[in-house]
Amino acid sequence: MKKIPKAKVDRRNFLKGAVAGAASAAVLAASPGLTAASPAETRPTVPPPMLPEAETGIPVRVDVLTENRSGSDFMVDVIKSLGIEYVCSNPGSSFRGLHESVINYGGNKNPEFLTCCHEESAVGMAHGYAKIEGKPLAVFAHGTVGLQHASMAIYNAYCDHVPVYLVIGNIVDETKRMPPVEWDHSVQDAAAMVRGYTKWDDLPMSLQSFAESAVRAYKIATTPPTMPVLLVADAELQENPLTPDANAKLQIPKFYLERPPQGDSGSVAEAARMLVGAENPVLMADRMSHTAAGMQGLIELAEALQAPVIDRAGRMNFPTRHPLNQSERSREVIGEADVILGLEMADFWGSLHSYRDQMYRTSQPITRPGVKLISINSGDLYSKANYQDFQRFTDVDLAMAADAEATLPSLNEAVKRQITPDRKSVFDARGEKLAAAHQEALERNRVLATYAWDASPISTARLCAELWGQIKHEDWSLVSAVTFVSRWPLRLWDFNKHYQYIGAAGGYGVGYGMPASVGAALANRKHGRLSVNIQNDGDMMYAPGVLWTAAHHKIPLLTVMHNNRAYHQEVMQVQVMADRHSRGVNRAWIGTTMTDPNIDFSKLAQSLGMHAEGPISDPKELGPAIRRAVEIVKNGEPALIDVLSQPR
Amino acid sequence: METFAQHSGRQAGADQPKSDQLKRAQSKCRKPTRVAWPGSGIRCGGALAFVLAWMLIVPGNAPAQGTKAGAKTDATPPGNVEKGKKIFASHACSGCHGSEGQGATGPRISPPPLPLSGFVRYVRQPVGLMPPFNSEAISDSELADVYAFLKSAAPPQAAPEAAPAGNVENGKKLFTSDGCYECHGFEGQGAQQTSAPTIGPPPLPFEAFAKYVHQPTGSMPPYTAKILPDAELADIYAYLKSIPPPPQPKSIPLLNQ
Repeated sequence: MKKIPKAKVDRRNFLKGAVAGAASAAVLAASPGLTAASPAETRPTVPPPMLPEAETGIPVRVDVLTENRSGSDFMVDVIKSLGIEYVCSNPGSSFRGLHESVINYGGNKNPEFLTCCHEESAVGMAHGYAKIEGKPLAVFAHGTVGLQHASMAIYNAYCDHVPVYLVIGNIVDETKRMPPVEWDHSVQDAAAMVRGYTKWDDLPMSLQSFAESAVRAYKIATTPPTMPVLLVADAELQENPLTPDANAKLQIPKFYLERPPQGDSGSVAEAARMLVGAENPVLMADRMSHTAAGMQGLIELAEALQAPVIDRAGRMNFPTRHPLNQSERSREVIGEADVILGLEMADFWGSLHSYRDQMYRTSQPITRPGVKLISINSGDLYSKANYQDFQRFTDVDLAMAADAEATLPSLNEAVKRQITPDRKSVFDARGEKLAAAHQEALERNRVLATYAWDASPISTARLCAELWGQIKHEDWSLVSAVTFVSRWPLRLWDFNKHYQYIGAAGGYGVGYGMPASVGAALANRKHGRLSVNIQNDGDMMYAPGVLWTAAHHKIPLLTVMHNNRAYHQEVMQVQVMADRHSRGVNRAWIGTTMTDPNIDFSKLAQSLGMHAEGPISDPKELGPAIRRAVEIVKNGEPALIDVLSQPR
Repeated sequence: METFAQHSGRQAGADQPKSDQLKRAQSKCRKPTRVAWPGSGIRCGGALAFVLAWMLIVPGNAPAQGTKAGAKTDATPPGNVEKGKKIFASHACSGCHGSEGQGATGPRISPPPLPLSGFVRYVRQPVGLMPPFNSEAISDSELADVYAFLKSAAPPQAAPEAAPAGNVENGKKLFTSDGCYECHGFEGQGAQQTSAPTIGPPPLPFEAFAKYVHQPTGSMPPYTAKILPDAELADIYAYLKSIPPPPQPKSIPLLNQ
């Protein structure tokens, strides 16, 4: 590939010969790699950022050692214009300019710089924050080692359709890199390593370009399907002086956002016709509800049709105690359905099939023949090839590539228009049966919760019931996934607000739980909510430094450890292999458990500045310990209770 | 600064969803709910039969031995054997379970291992690979006929063999060292996440229990006799039988909130 000529600009030595904007643009256009479509991962060498005197207005002199303003100040102005409240970051030299501008020029407010101990924690915090607050926060990181640390967490957010606003430092111009570190921390195409799981990225070549790209990036990140975006802030662009005259010529674009895509009127009417005419319609929702409006819209639809709702709980879509919530009877209602509406389904196919994991893997549909499927999914608007998060193909009869929450109002109107008195009487009869079945399912779960009630290690049902007993009168928000505690909170607790649950990691990348909970708690803080995290031990050990971040920045969060002293999913995976080979499972603990020594999570948390108790193995001691911790959290501090628990 | 959600006009304002139906349900169930346990009745939904069906559907969900519930569900169900035989063939049950329910690619179901209520519920919402049959595909009365057929089709059997004597303490150790606890919990309480049913106390006779462990029909990993001989399995079975029945939900305030 043709090497792009280096620009003869040297900020640190203040040499003459800055490249004019037009010349730089000409170089860019002349590059065949940049004008022709090229595979994402083979992006060509990029030219250095132009530093035209016309923009900086600074005469090049080596004896000038100070400056009043630099490019990073303007970058902070741009970031402020986006309403970004926080920057989560582990500090790094390639964005030292931005760092200093945030805390001094920007007053360390909107955004405020939050100190993170690992870039994976920073992105995980952004992930959890966005699911509560409905908007992204920023993450600063090195373009190389920082982004490498961050990459798994970015992948989770990408799979989970959550916006994260990444700004990474880099030094493109080879002549400007101070040896040796800055060479190792520089990269030709910084975004390449995460381009397979970010929605958009850019390398702005000037401050004006940075401003436009920054607003564009925000707009792209927050348009459904929402996803992470990345901007490269070259160190030259950050640190070059900026005169008042030059600054006056720069413009921050008007902030605006895209309206979310809605299903077209014809398809919405057809979907309504199918749902109203169905004898056994089923409504399924996964990553649907971004706001209170999503839950409200689904309630309206379900009640108009008196149709069962299965909440796949990628978000908090439907009240758990609503009589039409049939999530605990999902297989039964799916098996009877003649029309199924899937709203932002992450895995529609998997929801409609059983799968047997034996030596010869087999699957069966759990739907009856002839069932009609309707899908409203913004994910259909944006797919990439390499990573396989799009799941298995589903035979859908009516598909709308649109945001489901935004489409629900028009769908509700269409449904209500088509309901006749005859149909309504049918619906009412259906609703009565469903209400009875809902209550039966709740009673069934209460019976199941009694098993191993007094066991030690403490059963996951007991753990969740004790926790619920201590928070139910607060304005609470469960900011962790519940898969590994067998979904007991969703089975027993009364969830009725959209912020009371935020789903899971998205990409099943372990290490998401603790930082995402801290980020969600950060968002909940200003609303005065009690954030609660049921924390898996294996997940915690990836980057426990985020506990210090929570303590340092006084982020109130109640963490209750689900400490089964193992990467338990993997214990079971090794068991499957050992049984398949008839070799016995008595060595399945090797490489999968975390004992000898046992990890003392209360001491770990205490050492990082947090109130902590445990390990608690007697279930009778759990409630009082949680009560003490709740008081700490209500006073604005994080707290942790370590609980020795049953595996699942 | 507005969020992208607010900008798009999707902010509903109030956090609490507006739903009269939900409010009615909440007010109805606000007080501690009487739980569906034998003799107690249910004040918020009326679900005794359903709960019993569930408890008996999945191995291990059987109520505590000696309860009225256990006796009630053992009642002889109605059903027409001849009709049941025809339905068994016409609905392709025999394709997997054999013409007499003797088992083929699917497990033997003659005699049916579950009471009728559990049998119906399993057919409606099976756990393994079996496709679900809704009430339109096969009605409850038709299933009762099938059930009667399956009971009649079973060859005359001697009284079920008593479980071999087992060592409870050794069974408890084996339950852990053989990894049973990994999916079923240390007390066999089961776990939704692993799709492992409650097995403490065990719901099946030892023979059926052992057969399933050696050759499971779902996703449970198979424990061959080579790594789990019947003598050890008998110890595990003895341990599971020794587990006392759980307390009643109504006796636990935390489960009535």
